[in-house]
Amino acid sequence: MNGNVTDKNSRRSKKVADWILTGVLLIGSLVMIIPFIWMVLTSFDWAARLKIPFPPRFWPEEFSFKTYQMAFTNIPMLKYMINSIIVSVGVIVVSLLSAVFSGYAISKLKFKGANIVLLLALSTMMIPFEMTMIPQYLMFAKIKLLDTYWSFFLPALNYAFGTFLAKSFIDQLPGSLREAAIIDGANEFTVFVKVYLPLCIPILATMIILQFLAVWNDLLWPLLALKTPDKYTIQLGLAMFSYNKDLPLPSVIMAATTVSLTPVIVLYLFLQRYIVESIALSGVKQ
Amino acid sequence: MSSELKTSIVIPKQGTTIRRKKFFTRRDVAGYLFSAPLLIGIVVFSIYPMIGALILSFKKSSQTFEGDWAGLNNYKYVLTDSLFWQSIYNTFYMGILSVVLGVSLSFILATLIHNISWLKWRNFFKGVYFLPNVVSLVATSILFSFLFNPGSEGLLNYVIGLVGIEPIGWFTDPKYARFSIVIMTLWGMLGYNTIIFIAALTSVPRDLYEAAEVDGANWLKKWLYITIPYLKPIIIFMVIIGTINAMKRFTDVWLIGGTAGNPAGSLMTAVLYIYRNGFLSSQMGIATAASYILFFFILVLTIVLMLTNRKSNFD
Repeated sequence: MNGNVTDKNSRRSKKVADWILTGVLLIGSLVMIIPFIWMVLTSFDWAARLKIPFPPRFWPEEFSFKTYQMAFTNIPMLKYMINSIIVSVGVIVVSLLSAVFSGYAISKLKFKGANIVLLLALSTMMIPFEMTMIPQYLMFAKIKLLDTYWSFFLPALNYAFGTFLAKSFIDQLPGSLREAAIIDGANEFTVFVKVYLPLCIPILATMIILQFLAVWNDLLWPLLALKTPDKYTIQLGLAMFSYNKDLPLPSVIMAATTVSLTPVIVLYLFLQRYIVESIALSGVKQ
Repeated sequence: MSSELKTSIVIPKQGTTIRRKKFFTRRDVAGYLFSAPLLIGIVVFSIYPMIGALILSFKKSSQTFEGDWAGLNNYKYVLTDSLFWQSIYNTFYMGILSVVLGVSLSFILATLIHNISWLKWRNFFKGVYFLPNVVSLVATSILFSFLFNPGSEGLLNYVIGLVGIEPIGWFTDPKYARFSIVIMTLWGMLGYNTIIFIAALTSVPRDLYEAAEVDGANWLKKWLYITIPYLKPIIIFMVIIGTINAMKRFTDVWLIGGTAGNPAGSLMTAVLYIYRNGFLSSQMGIATAASYILFFFILVLTIVLMLTNRKSNFD
């Protein structure tokens, strides 16, 4: 037996295996991508504005931007996008502040009952939103904050998963930093904001990604909370428009859908690595 | 460790008296202040609504908490409502199929991607397969209602027509509607599971595989006897998360099947049932009772799945 020969053989067979795997996965990724490509190309097809063309085609028969023009005039897409941005930013700010302050307190201040707070946060994470949506709706109706964005910002205080993420991240930071700063005369708030918060940027970025995707894509709470069409978020506006089945306008709806996807897709193209890492982290941590 | 701490506190006698006088240390006060936003959030938006829903579920259908007591009538109504059981059946049908298919397919997909030697391709595939996951459920539902157009002009019907299959009424035929939803769900969630599985695969110690190779194991044996057992906790975790999410299915069925869960109620799910009763017919009592029954189902399922994990660890 010559070790060199078997080594060469196994290396060659590994290479063949790599090519086969890549081929199989390429075919699979084509299946994943085709729906997108078809949607984007059809959205430019003015001839498909009244009816989906038969036989199905990828390349537009009548290439035009008029579908997009209609999407922006018939559906106030721009307004919905701005509304969604306002809601997302507000929710992200409130939920991250709540999560990182409490996560720091549980991890480094070790106050009386810190473990109870963590346990409480973890156990409420198991309660699905669908359980609490009706009383929450009635509560906001009673304090007359329904149909305002406060009904989005206030519940963001309850970001228990973020607390959990922040706590396990801050656990890895040395506690001696706090002690040194305290000896230098800093108060707890300054210690946190000046010393620990800057070190938390990686976990904050993860939370921003997770929360942005969740808030931008949510439909159920906007559907319950928002009544005035002017205040609709992008998902609610799009859903309400396409819900009207008497109005076909296929390529216009596809143009609107494409517009609704652009922010997340653009973000994804630029931050793909971080988004994939955040999701992997959120899965492994849970 | 803890006993060491205790003794170090007790030794200086003066110290203990000072400690006792100050009930809350500076750390405690700061801790409560820092946790206050979260605690307020939990109490107002988790605990209070849970209690509120419980109270409502025993009240006569009302839009406030002040209505008359209904006793167990709401629960009786829901549990004898054939529509509710249909919604539970549909929810489970779509849920079990999408979890079983989704977890096994993404596990296979993850091992394939993980086994490519070229890092660039690996990252490319991670990116492509995950992409549908950032697409909202609203956009996915709109897109698939065009792809699954029941006429021959639908893209998918056209493709299967090329090999001589008659057009299928994907979302309009009650026989196929649930399965079509499962296909759509797979498209959306495959990447999410795959990413988590790939992250877990990188954590399998290499020497396990090397030891197996010395014993002459081929790739299939390594996959069956090392990879799968090692990743079992993650697999169970994916099944639990998938099941919980499947129990909460609403957005896609509402957009595709409307509030009646059409065609022929085959897309009526438990949350759609809650939404219908609570917000369309203003019967909050019935809706909250249904939500507690659904919660009970989710809880039992989660506990059963967690127990299967624990049992396997003792073997």
